[in-house]
Amino acid sequence: MAAAAAAASGVHSGKTYSFKVVLLGEGCVGKTSLVLRYCENKFNDKHITTLQASFLTKKLNITGKRVNLAIWDTAGQERFHALGPIYYRDSNGAILVYDVTDEDSFQKVKNWVKELRKMLGNEICLCIVGNKIDLDKDRHVSVEEAESYAESVGARHYHTSAKLNKGIEELFLDLCKRMMETAQAEERIKGNGSSQSASSRRGVQIVDDEPQATPAGGCCSSG
Amino acid sequence: MATADSGLKPLQNAMKMAKTAIQLDGENKHKEAYCEYLRTINYISHALLEEAASQIPAADSPVEQKSSSPTKTGHRRVLSDGGGELSPFLPPEVFQRLQTVASQDTSKKELTPIEEASRLNQKLKATYEARLARLTPGQAYQKTSLTLSLQRQMMENLIIAKARQDALQRKMEERRLRLQEEANRRFAASGAMTAEEQEQRVLYANVLEYEQDHDWPKQWKANMKKNPDITLVSDLVSYLLSRSDHPVVKLLRKHQYRIYNRLYPIVSKGLPQSPNMPLRPSRSIHNLLRPETQRKPISSFSTDSSLSPSHSHELNTNCDDEEAEEPQTQPTVDRENSFEDLEQFLTQLDWAPPHSGTDETGSDSEPTGDPSTQDESHVQELENKALKEHLKAIVKDIHIAIEQLLSLCLLSFECLNTASYKDLCLASIEEAFFPPLWSAIVTLFRKVHREREQAFETGMKLYRDASPRDVGVPSKLFPPDPIALQGSYPYESAVQELKLLVQDCCPQRKLECIVRTLRLICACAEEYRCLHEADSSPKTAAIGADDLLPILSFVALRCQCPQLVSECAALGEFIHEGYLIGEEGYCLTSMQSALAYVESLQTAGTHLPAHKLV
Repeated sequence: MAAAAAAASGVHSGKTYSFKVVLLGEGCVGKTSLVLRYCENKFNDKHITTLQASFLTKKLNITGKRVNLAIWDTAGQERFHALGPIYYRDSNGAILVYDVTDEDSFQKVKNWVKELRKMLGNEICLCIVGNKIDLDKDRHVSVEEAESYAESVGARHYHTSAKLNKGIEELFLDLCKRMMETAQAEERIKGNGSSQSASSRRGVQIVDDEPQATPAGGCCSSG
Repeated sequence: MATADSGLKPLQNAMKMAKTAIQLDGENKHKEAYCEYLRTINYISHALLEEAASQIPAADSPVEQKSSSPTKTGHRRVLSDGGGELSPFLPPEVFQRLQTVASQDTSKKELTPIEEASRLNQKLKATYEARLARLTPGQAYQKTSLTLSLQRQMMENLIIAKARQDALQRKMEERRLRLQEEANRRFAASGAMTAEEQEQRVLYANVLEYEQDHDWPKQWKANMKKNPDITLVSDLVSYLLSRSDHPVVKLLRKHQYRIYNRLYPIVSKGLPQSPNMPLRPSRSIHNLLRPETQRKPISSFSTDSSLSPSHSHELNTNCDDEEAEEPQTQPTVDRENSFEDLEQFLTQLDWAPPHSGTDETGSDSEPTGDPSTQDESHVQELENKALKEHLKAIVKDIHIAIEQLLSLCLLSFECLNTASYKDLCLASIEEAFFPPLWSAIVTLFRKVHREREQAFETGMKLYRDASPRDVGVPSKLFPPDPIALQGSYPYESAVQELKLLVQDCCPQRKLECIVRTLRLICACAEEYRCLHEADSSPKTAAIGADDLLPILSFVALRCQCPQLVSECAALGEFIHEGYLIGEEGYCLTSMQSALAYVESLQTAGTHLPAHKLV
């Protein structure tokens, strides 16, 4: 029914985007709470996968396009960083979380930005996220500093509070839209014919398949 | 067909002889004709005997026959006088034969006209003998006439059969050409043809030919059309793979054999030097030998290495047997392919001139080094480089082989050519492709990653009795009181699961094993947390990567299996792109990360960085 409506309105293109997003941040900055908050669903409690908060998936519908999001949590501890590159290879987006009350965690974010840009170039969409804005009175990273830094490295900056569930939905929606734009631009460059095989290596999988029922309008369908 | 070809000459001779006899018979020279007939029969039976004698031993008792010529096939000793001990790697030709034997039972060959005729003649002869027995000694004339008429009938049967066979062959050839044209038309779109395209055309023509001779593909296609269903798809693919005469299966065997042939000279050359860790024996290959002894669960395989067939092989490195072993591997490469490979391999080893090492030391101003050890390490380095190159080439080869198999599968059954069916098809092909090869593949990976495995082992020994806390697991995620576990240790179920990984022979199944291990870790973590805080709200109950990796490292340490390093490296090469960003990809990446951490323990010294363990 929904599929028929979508097909009739011509919005549904039959394409599904698959995006990989890595979650980076020191321990204690609240990245687990952040991603759990995002994947919690009012209508469906069974949202946490069997791997709990380390690996989460979410299906979205953005302007008629279906998007499958795979969110990869990474360990914040230094001693697990040797294999960092294999975590974020083929990523379409990265969410770099710091604690606004912890200057040190912001420094760590800067290190990651450098490494990501070095390894993946400009094709990866970066989000720098100042979490715990509910503790604004203890803030140690100024809004201006963070935002101007983000701008200087071609990243977007967001403020969130996992505790108050603030800014998280916007963060992910915005990131998805940016990743779609990047993928579409890549498609245009490579031409439609070869886009499938050419882009699959980088994780943007554009699968042409039969249209199926998708909850119309909403970007929070369960998965 | 082959017997008809090789039997052509004796047959022609027999016909000539028979013709003479018939002529004599026509000229009423009965006695001479009779003698000539007898000579013909004698000749035919002699020719048949020779042919039978030359075929039977090759198929039935290779060991006995070949052991008489030890220079040429010395490696067979592994089978014949091993005293129950099996070498982990079978020589390629045995591998190939087992492949064929394992799959031959499914297809029954039809008789050629000549074979049919000889059966008929045997029946005639039996009737003749029965009649002859009933004759009284005085009926000599009837006897002669019976004999003559038998011989005439037998001859006629053979002549007719020969004519039929020729006609049939002509028809088959015509059909083959017609089907080849049909196949060519299908691929006609492209102008210039590459060798691969050419090959694919031939393969497709073979498929068409097969479909003319067999009804089942048509039936399955009709079924699929009527009732397209995912279970039907896997049934179809497994049925297809059980038909040993189908071109897809023939291609599968050809690729398996080719790749094994490339691997064999390298992997049979001495096993990885990880003294405490036996190579998991090739369950795959030995299963072909002993299909009835299926997988016995091995509960703790790190200690009871004496039970492993490969154990003796590892000990060989420091006992006299080694010399006896060396020449064995050399003659095995008498096959063209493997010989070429070996040659290539050796030239890669020899590639750099020996004096280049001294050049380097000169410029590097390191005159203190002992030249002999430097040469040794230099050779080692070159060997590693060559091994890596070889590994890369073989991995690429395997990918190409699987791709080709998949595309032939999809050409044979177009109904399978949808995204989801294709994945299923690929999974089935891999499940058939990898098992006989896996132990050889992983042995090559182990050779390449020997240093990493050694580092892992050192880390493993250093942290033999480590508690979860020692590797940074927060205390709320393991039981407070070790006695409460009753002889067990934290996360034991996950460790047991991970230990099963080396037993599977298919990458996809190994990947599933890793996913199960991580899920078990999450389940255990949940359980332990509940022990600490009885009234914990489920909201905070999810663990993230900050907790998962330390636990996974603990599990990897307890697993005590350095081979995991190579297994995971191999999985990284063979994981499907579709799984790369999914749960499987995440679990494999986490596993690799934990293994790398264990490898790093030896340099990290005695104490871990204690900061940020939360």
